[in-house]
Amino acid sequence: MASPSPSTSHDINEPRDGGDTQNTKDEEKKDENLLECNICLDTAKDAVVSLCGHLFCWPCLHQWLETRPNRQVCPVCKAAISKEKVVPLYGRGSTKQEDPRDKVPPRPAGQRTEPEPGNNFSGFGFGDSGFHMSFGIGAFPFGFFTSTFNFGEPRPNVATHGTPMYMEEQFLSKVFLWLAMIFIAWLLFA
Amino acid sequence: MTERSPSKRRLHRELLSLIKEPPPGVSLDAEQIEQNLFLWTIHLEGAERTLYEGESFQLQFKFSDNYPFDSPEVIFTGEHIPIHPHVYSNGHICLSILTDDWSPALSVQSVCLSIVSMLSSCKEKQRPPDNAFYVKTCNKNPKKTKWWYHDDSV
Repeated sequence: MASPSPSTSHDINEPRDGGDTQNTKDEEKKDENLLECNICLDTAKDAVVSLCGHLFCWPCLHQWLETRPNRQVCPVCKAAISKEKVVPLYGRGSTKQEDPRDKVPPRPAGQRTEPEPGNNFSGFGFGDSGFHMSFGIGAFPFGFFTSTFNFGEPRPNVATHGTPMYMEEQFLSKVFLWLAMIFIAWLLFA
Repeated sequence: MTERSPSKRRLHRELLSLIKEPPPGVSLDAEQIEQNLFLWTIHLEGAERTLYEGESFQLQFKFSDNYPFDSPEVIFTGEHIPIHPHVYSNGHICLSILTDDWSPALSVQSVCLSIVSMLSSCKEKQRPPDNAFYVKTCNKNPKKTKWWYHDDSV
């Protein structure tokens, strides 16, 4: 590929530089508006975001929710919202935010879901799935004992197809199914 | 410190932005409004290429201390009340965002734009069918009227 001649690149760059400063100014102005509460039009204090993505001060939104408790909608887009369905925004160093409007209940806390633990098949931990598999395939009494005296996990894995344990489980499930049906019939006809 | 009240703060902000960037056809007397932030008079021009082109109207906004959680009281005032199927001859306006559908994210500007657009979409100038009865019996405050919003076309 041929490199562009110096004059061409200069021509391209010059107007762009001028435009860039203009753009930055506009963007700064826009950024200020972006962080304004949709109710008081000030920079959002104790900011919360609705699930539909609209930003409010928590005291402002709370007051709106109280104004119409039976019809709680987002002031901007009228999507259904509620106290439980807003997310607080924590900026850096915002943990010690002091808000004088203490009549308002505390801003709802953020919800944290623990990440799901990944399956590991190392086979050494007691109560880990690899452990069950290796013993479940064994002879009936042995398999029965491992699953009965299994304190590590609340439910054993499903037995492999064809083993005695599998047959036993099938039998038990049939018994319980019949019990349930008899019970329902009794409920209906008694 | 009168600036402290949140409704005043918000009204002041709205006033500043309306002075800075007034929407087309909307003008106001800022000095008069600064005297009393809770009572605004706004001048509206009928939009071009509509039935109201060339006409001008006056809107009156009354705000409560609870603004923007309470909607403002908005009526046409002055001699010239537009002839429109949703505007009564006493200046009351049948517009859902002024009562049931009010939201604190709305503003003087958005209400003005809604009213201009309501006028603009009118096909035939006429008063509401129940005008005489309503004007005789209604409360002075349009927000006390139990409006029945049924016609979205105009």
